[in-house]
Amino acid sequence: MPDDINISIDGVEIKTQPGKMVLEAAIDAGIYVPYLCYHPGMKPYAACRMCVIEVEGQRGYPAACTLPVADGMVVHSQIPAVDALRKSVMEMLIAEHPNGCLTCHRIDICGPSDVCLRHVSVNDRCVTCPKNERCELKDTVRYLGMSLESPLGYKYRNIPLEVSDPFYDRDYNLCIVCGRCVRACDELRGDDAIGFTERGGQALVGTSFGTSLLESGCEFCGACIDVCPVGALVEREHKWEKARRVERSICPHCPVGCQLNLEFNANDELIRAVPEINSPANQGQACFKGKFGLEFVNDSGRLTVPLVKRNGALEEATWDEALDFIADRLFQVGGEQFALLTSPTSTNEELYLAQKFARAVMGSNNIDQTSNTNPEMVLGLESSLGLAAGTNPIWELEQSGCILAFNTNVTEEQNVVAVPIKRASRKNAKLIVIDSREVELTRYAHLWLRPVPGTELTLLAGVLRSIVDQGLNDTVWLEENCESPATLTYALNSREIEEVSEVTQVSVDDIRSAARLFAEADSGSVVYGLDNLAANLERDCVLSLVNLVLLTGNLGKPGSGLYPMRQGANDQGAWDMGCLPDRLPGYRWVSDPADRKLVESVWGVPVPESPGLGLAQIVDAADGGELKAAVVFGNSANFANGRIGDAVGALSKLDLLVVHDTFLTTLGRQADVVLPREAFAQKDGTYTNLERRVQRISPALTRNDGARPESWVILQLAERLKPGSWQPLTPAEVMEEITRVAPIYAGISHHRLDTEGSLVLRTQLDSPQPTQVLYASRQHRGLQWPCPEPGHPGTPTLYAEGFGDTRAVPMTPSFFAAAPEKPVEFPLWFAPGRVLLQQHREMEVIKGKRNRIMREEWVEVNPRDAADLGFAEGDKVAVETEQGLVPGVARYNPGVPRGVVASTGLFGQLAIDLEASEEFDPASMLEGLVVRAARLIESPIKNTDG
Amino acid sequence: MPASYAQLEAEATARWEANAKRPWVRVGTALCGQAAGSTSVVSALKQALERQGVDAQLSEVGCIGLCYAEPLVDVQLPGGPRIFYGDFDPDRADELVRAHVAGGHPIAELALGYLPPEDAADDFVPPAGLRDLSLHPMRAWENRIALRNAGNIDPMDIYQYIATGGYRALSSALLEMTPEDALQQVNESGLRGRGGAAFPTATKWRFLAGNPSRDKYVLCNCEEGDPGAFNDKAILESDPHTLVEGVILAGYTTGASKGYIFIRHGHDGPIDRCRAAVSQAQELGLLGEDIMGSGFDFDIEVALTGDSYVAGEESALMEAIEGKRAMPRFRPPFPAQFGLFGKPTNINNVKTLAYVPEIMSRGGEWFAGIGHERSTGTAILCLSGALNYTGMMEVPLGINLKDVLYEAAGGIRNGKKLKFLQTGGPLGGVLGADNVDIVLDFEVLRNAGAILGSGGIIAADEDTCVVDLTRALVAFCQYESCGKCFPCRMGMSHILEVLERICDLRGQPEDLDLMRSTGENMQAGSLCGHGQLGFNPVSSALRYFPAEFEAHIIDHECSTGVCHGPRYSPVRSRR
Repeated sequence: MPDDINISIDGVEIKTQPGKMVLEAAIDAGIYVPYLCYHPGMKPYAACRMCVIEVEGQRGYPAACTLPVADGMVVHSQIPAVDALRKSVMEMLIAEHPNGCLTCHRIDICGPSDVCLRHVSVNDRCVTCPKNERCELKDTVRYLGMSLESPLGYKYRNIPLEVSDPFYDRDYNLCIVCGRCVRACDELRGDDAIGFTERGGQALVGTSFGTSLLESGCEFCGACIDVCPVGALVEREHKWEKARRVERSICPHCPVGCQLNLEFNANDELIRAVPEINSPANQGQACFKGKFGLEFVNDSGRLTVPLVKRNGALEEATWDEALDFIADRLFQVGGEQFALLTSPTSTNEELYLAQKFARAVMGSNNIDQTSNTNPEMVLGLESSLGLAAGTNPIWELEQSGCILAFNTNVTEEQNVVAVPIKRASRKNAKLIVIDSREVELTRYAHLWLRPVPGTELTLLAGVLRSIVDQGLNDTVWLEENCESPATLTYALNSREIEEVSEVTQVSVDDIRSAARLFAEADSGSVVYGLDNLAANLERDCVLSLVNLVLLTGNLGKPGSGLYPMRQGANDQGAWDMGCLPDRLPGYRWVSDPADRKLVESVWGVPVPESPGLGLAQIVDAADGGELKAAVVFGNSANFANGRIGDAVGALSKLDLLVVHDTFLTTLGRQADVVLPREAFAQKDGTYTNLERRVQRISPALTRNDGARPESWVILQLAERLKPGSWQPLTPAEVMEEITRVAPIYAGISHHRLDTEGSLVLRTQLDSPQPTQVLYASRQHRGLQWPCPEPGHPGTPTLYAEGFGDTRAVPMTPSFFAAAPEKPVEFPLWFAPGRVLLQQHREMEVIKGKRNRIMREEWVEVNPRDAADLGFAEGDKVAVETEQGLVPGVARYNPGVPRGVVASTGLFGQLAIDLEASEEFDPASMLEGLVVRAARLIESPIKNTDG
Repeated sequence: MPASYAQLEAEATARWEANAKRPWVRVGTALCGQAAGSTSVVSALKQALERQGVDAQLSEVGCIGLCYAEPLVDVQLPGGPRIFYGDFDPDRADELVRAHVAGGHPIAELALGYLPPEDAADDFVPPAGLRDLSLHPMRAWENRIALRNAGNIDPMDIYQYIATGGYRALSSALLEMTPEDALQQVNESGLRGRGGAAFPTATKWRFLAGNPSRDKYVLCNCEEGDPGAFNDKAILESDPHTLVEGVILAGYTTGASKGYIFIRHGHDGPIDRCRAAVSQAQELGLLGEDIMGSGFDFDIEVALTGDSYVAGEESALMEAIEGKRAMPRFRPPFPAQFGLFGKPTNINNVKTLAYVPEIMSRGGEWFAGIGHERSTGTAILCLSGALNYTGMMEVPLGINLKDVLYEAAGGIRNGKKLKFLQTGGPLGGVLGADNVDIVLDFEVLRNAGAILGSGGIIAADEDTCVVDLTRALVAFCQYESCGKCFPCRMGMSHILEVLERICDLRGQPEDLDLMRSTGENMQAGSLCGHGQLGFNPVSSALRYFPAEFEAHIIDHECSTGVCHGPRYSPVRSRR
């Protein structure tokens, strides 16, 4: 930490650090200097000249946002000369920005529909602007104390509004060209969907060639809206509504754990989500799901009353009736006939109680998560390294020298993780993508390896072998940290690169350069998913990726490590809490008597000894009749997408199916009892994200609509089944019990999570501020486990101190190519992709009330396959899978492996579909890009345009 | 192994001598020539030579300075003087070839004059009836250093440049001088930046030379968007190798790894000739690795901007080379620490770098001997407007601006009186006619409130309305504002709106104060020189011609009548 230096601003002496700019120092010290183009979190830009100041001994009026502090600097921000300069610039600004109400004394009593006594046109009124009362420009005008009239001529620009894109409304008549949105898109997100257009007095913001956002490469993350100081960019939903209340919450859609500030209107409806700028997990960013996918909270279709099936139909019942009904039936069910499935949006406390209920009350270890379809994702980490979790913080990816993205569509599924990846790749980091599909990151990749589906493991073997062949393995690190590293290198000898190349159809050169890029980087990270991997490859792929970081010594240091891309918001927490058939909280083993004993000592009841059934087995057992009763919390995409078979059909065969959910879903309709469940915004507890960060989620929505949390339902059932055995506990008390069972959580408490963290942006609430700054008065950093004792600061990076008493154990995978089952009639693989935009592709946007994308898709096929199949480039074809037809035009692409056909859609279409979706909670039900068995046929659709 | 300089020189001399045995026909095809129609002159002469089967060397050369007389053709018979034909009519190509090129008889009634051969013997007999162009007022005041080859050699032929001594300075600097020695020569020369700020070049280079970074860049700025300025373009069109050599020398002196010559998109002639020069230099091993066996690696890339005036601002220029929108950066950090691609960078004007080869070969002391006090060397002036002789001149600093106008440029056209000058580009503002008795010297000009800037001098006679011209200048500045910082983006528009009102004779008495306050705040608040200087046209016009503004506003009168007629207003100032 550099030594503090002293500067004085308007006579106030403040301490600051060299390297800061005067404006940053002022904000740190809680001194307000007006600004419009500056935004914390982005680089200074020096355009608006609102922050001009005078510095004693310096000429002119430098901008505080770009003037570095110097010891002894004497700054004047509130002298007449500076004030006059600011006012003059503001006069110019309001001569091009609608301002009719800015200086009217009635502004506080006027509403949008009131008759204006001054005959100000509707376009020129503030009260008819969606940003009224949260407009930084208006606040700044008032701060400056402007006079009523500007001597400069006002002109309304009369630019047509852009209101046809998904989610966004853009009104460039209100734009002040501060460039925040352009910089957010470029600097923060790495997307460059928007830029400046024209110049001089006509300069404005827009897309290239004025296209719609659908064509511009917009990923609808909303970052531009979040930083816009005026009403130019706003969310369409609840556009005109004013926030009456703002509460901090956590996004339920993926495991990044984005802290969001939720705005509620007077009717307690969620109207907007503004990502928290000081949140360590998302750093002010969110994505299309978090920004626009929370509307379900307001849906009037929410369940509010318990439903009990009587005479084959679900009927409304009181809570007591419903709970008694369940308890009566659960009395008759023996331990192993009962199963419990938890939701990825339950809190740690609820998950803990859920597994405790199954084990301690029902005597069953049949417990799993509805989202746990790929348990192998983290088991390999545990077996080799010790802990079943990602090793490093998300944002360290930005410092990584090389990032390998393996079979993960992270830009869509865990979007914010992609932000540091894109930012890194735009600096000097190398990005390698291994995926059969063309996903967004392939556009940022330095190297994209596209193996034949089923040969991913073989490809990893080739990369590992190549690292050893090229002598790039970090032998010193390996000797110090790993058990018998020689076994691994020996095993690799069995695979020749040429052979790998032939099987995977990835060139030898590409395999070698992937090895070189990763091994030669100062630090290397692996971001991986198991999308579309054959089940029998999952374990070994994970082990190979672990071996990759071990061979190259990329563990325990910044910018390196492994990032498993889990799916559900609190999947990590569910594992930590022991919502697994063979695990107890804190990764204790059900089969280990000592572990059981410890848990029993806390619970005071025995824990069933034999491991229970996992998700797939529970479904099978329900189908086979061995299982009699189940309680299912929440909905899951896996009930519909076939990844666990016909789960709904199987579970509906049970004698008792209890579904506790926010909406009446397909599964709920089959249930015997449906209980109304609180939404994430009503929850009180903690979530653990994919970087092991335990974060507090507090009830943002206080609405009492009859829905109850899982913890209440569990306690009620426990009370009915074993009266007097369970004390009602607050979430904080549950966490206290967790700390006694799970050592990795031992130092965590709600009190710590609530009170630690500091005031980070001191704001004067009466001064104009960006919305994100206004909401950011306190930082909640959460705690990253392992946090073994109350004073422990948490562990951002695992294995920084090595592996303690033990050493990492490189497990040797059996390198083989899977021959996944494919029906004979579908001899090909169809690899669907999706990107933000495609160059050199014509695309038509049908403009209307809502823009639509019209384009003929390419079906990309290896030219040799095309010849074999008898198709020529330009033929109208269709890819047929069991799920349906994808029509398009055949196009040769030698980059597509033989045996694969590929088609790449646009993200814009997803955004359109999402916005138009009638589902209750569409964002949580998004299906990933699934590689399927397919065949190529002549298009059954002929010249429809003719 | 790259060729040694001696080998190159021998090859060049041989080629030169072989050519000298044939008649040499040169046509000025710089922008000034092209604008006057030299392209058709070249093809007419080519056809005429072919038709008549005359063996002669036909070269497209650059600008010799007498732009008013373009298209300019000159014919030099072996050993003889160069005889110039001005305003040449392509229809007379056949006649010229027959009489002069083939027949050896100059057409006296068409000829402008002659220049004696450089190696003229004592018994040289001047051609009868022709005047000596070295005594032409535009040439007589000149001392050509940067322009020494302009109009004389074929800019597309590196061997002609070498034959006239080109790249000798580079060779001797690389092989015989340390970078520190080279820097010492520049320091002794007193060379100052010709881009406008007149900052000592050696001091600037020392910043870069002292930076230990591995990647360092030298940039050459040929954005040259000022109306009335064409000398940078002319150097690139007439003698691009002088610049290439200058850039390499700058790179050697500062230890840079790469040079960029940045040319505005649309300057097609300069771009083509500069690109050709760079690739020829690469082919001969004068660029690339281990230049002439010296161990010095250096390469040059020709980078283009979009059509943007502000791209000539040094930090905007770097943004443009990086492929971004040309908008200025804030400073600090300065380019010497954080420049192109974040690396230490030095940026010089074309003219500055074009002096460097001669400084290296003749020594800094020689250069310092030319000029006036601390303003050493020459000024390259672009004369345009209501002057008798318009064109480009390279005159030693220290001569009087009055002499330039009334002697060298032959005074005001049609016997009218000078009203004002517009110097140094639109941001330089205007200089009243009473103020032109002034020595060309950076300090003197600055104290007088004028700038030499790019060297452009536009003369206006009594028929010019100063209000209308101010409006045109502000319209230019407004249109060319990059739109980044608020005061410049909007201030320019508002000032232009007021000026348009005044030109429409609808001005209000308070308009002058409104322009002043807006302009002064724009000046104080803007991020880069464009906004900081953008009020100069108005403030200088108000200083010299307050009465003319008042006449427009109070009496609704324009004394020149310009504002009573239709007005061409090409630019929308606001949306």
